[in-house]
Amino acid sequence: MTVVDTPPPRLPVRGKPAATDGSWGGVSPMLTRLAAEHATGVLVRERGTLYLAEGRVAHAESPLTPGLDLLLTAHGTLEAEVWRDAVARADDRHGAAHLLLDGGHLTEGALELCHLGALYDAAYFALAPSSTPGRFRYGIAHRLGPVLPVPVADLERETLRRRELLRRIWPDARPDSAPLVRTYATAAPKLTPRQHTLLERIDGVRTAPDLARELGRQAFHTLVDVRRLAAAGLVAPRDAPGPADGGPTPTLTEQLAYTTDPHITLLKRLRDALEAL
Amino acid sequence: MPGIDECLLEAMRLPGARGAALVDWTSGLALGTVGESPGSDHETTAAEAAELARLAAEHGAFASAEDPDGERPPVEDLIVSNRDSYHLLRFVDTSFDSSVFLHLWLTRTEGNLALARIRLGEMAERLVLG
Repeated sequence: MTVVDTPPPRLPVRGKPAATDGSWGGVSPMLTRLAAEHATGVLVRERGTLYLAEGRVAHAESPLTPGLDLLLTAHGTLEAEVWRDAVARADDRHGAAHLLLDGGHLTEGALELCHLGALYDAAYFALAPSSTPGRFRYGIAHRLGPVLPVPVADLERETLRRRELLRRIWPDARPDSAPLVRTYATAAPKLTPRQHTLLERIDGVRTAPDLARELGRQAFHTLVDVRRLAAAGLVAPRDAPGPADGGPTPTLTEQLAYTTDPHITLLKRLRDALEAL
Repeated sequence: MPGIDECLLEAMRLPGARGAALVDWTSGLALGTVGESPGSDHETTAAEAAELARLAAEHGAFASAEDPDGERPPVEDLIVSNRDSYHLLRFVDTSFDSSVFLHLWLTRTEGNLALARIRLGEMAERLVLG
């Protein structure tokens, strides 16, 4: 059998904003306006929250991504107690970040690196298209205090670039949010150790963001792995709840939905890919 | 204890340094850049360097045999040379989950590859460990 192991597609390069006249508003016109007026406060959107400091994004949080606290404590970089203590002692003059650095618990480089990772990660979800308008409250700052604020235009362009990156790997976005099931491909590519760890935890219940939190990994990095596994035919979104034990005999359609027959799964992947184009 | 910018500025003090960046190789995002970049475009350079880093990091042939579970970067550094310059990519080993490397661009006439490789390794370590 010929093993076809196509490499994942190239990383996209960010599109430059068409002009610098302030007309750039590709992701959120409200955010663009707040950046232009150098606003400070918190923008609450459907899938996440952005903290602005003088028009730049100082922090981002989303229920779909592990926060900075989880990223730092999951692999033992920081004790959970040290984090809680710093957040509890933080005030307007000294944010929790400042206290962690002063206490020698973290280096500035490690904090900046992890913080930027968490910020871009949460912003990707916070800036996703939403069905409800965002709300902005002026004057609120995050307890962490300033670390490395990011210009709004950079964040928006990176978010669009990340959407394009995922689309190029596998155009179907359902594996990003649905519970995942394992499927069996005839000619699966060799997996990286990280993908193995992820694949072992896929159980038909947990979603990609659940797995990211559990593994203490950035959610977007997990989406990249999940879409690559989906493209390889090893993972699929679970469309409907599985037939319960002792329930009625599954219909043919239901049986087909959960089949592990390699020929049928291949045909289904082809169909899904064609539909998603 | 240097931050990202201080670390990149320190790399720029190496002989022959033209540009430096800290790049995430899963997404291709440049977390910090200083100096010049080939084609004067740090973002494109970061995405292309990330591609190279990911290929090296994901192929078993280049991996160290000491860490089979893949928690640490499997590769230490990558060196690319052409007729007028060197590119040095150093993977940063963090205690939290990440996928970043330092990218240093050196002119061939003034750059000292052996020195740069040792110094960049030290800077990568200091960046996260202090």
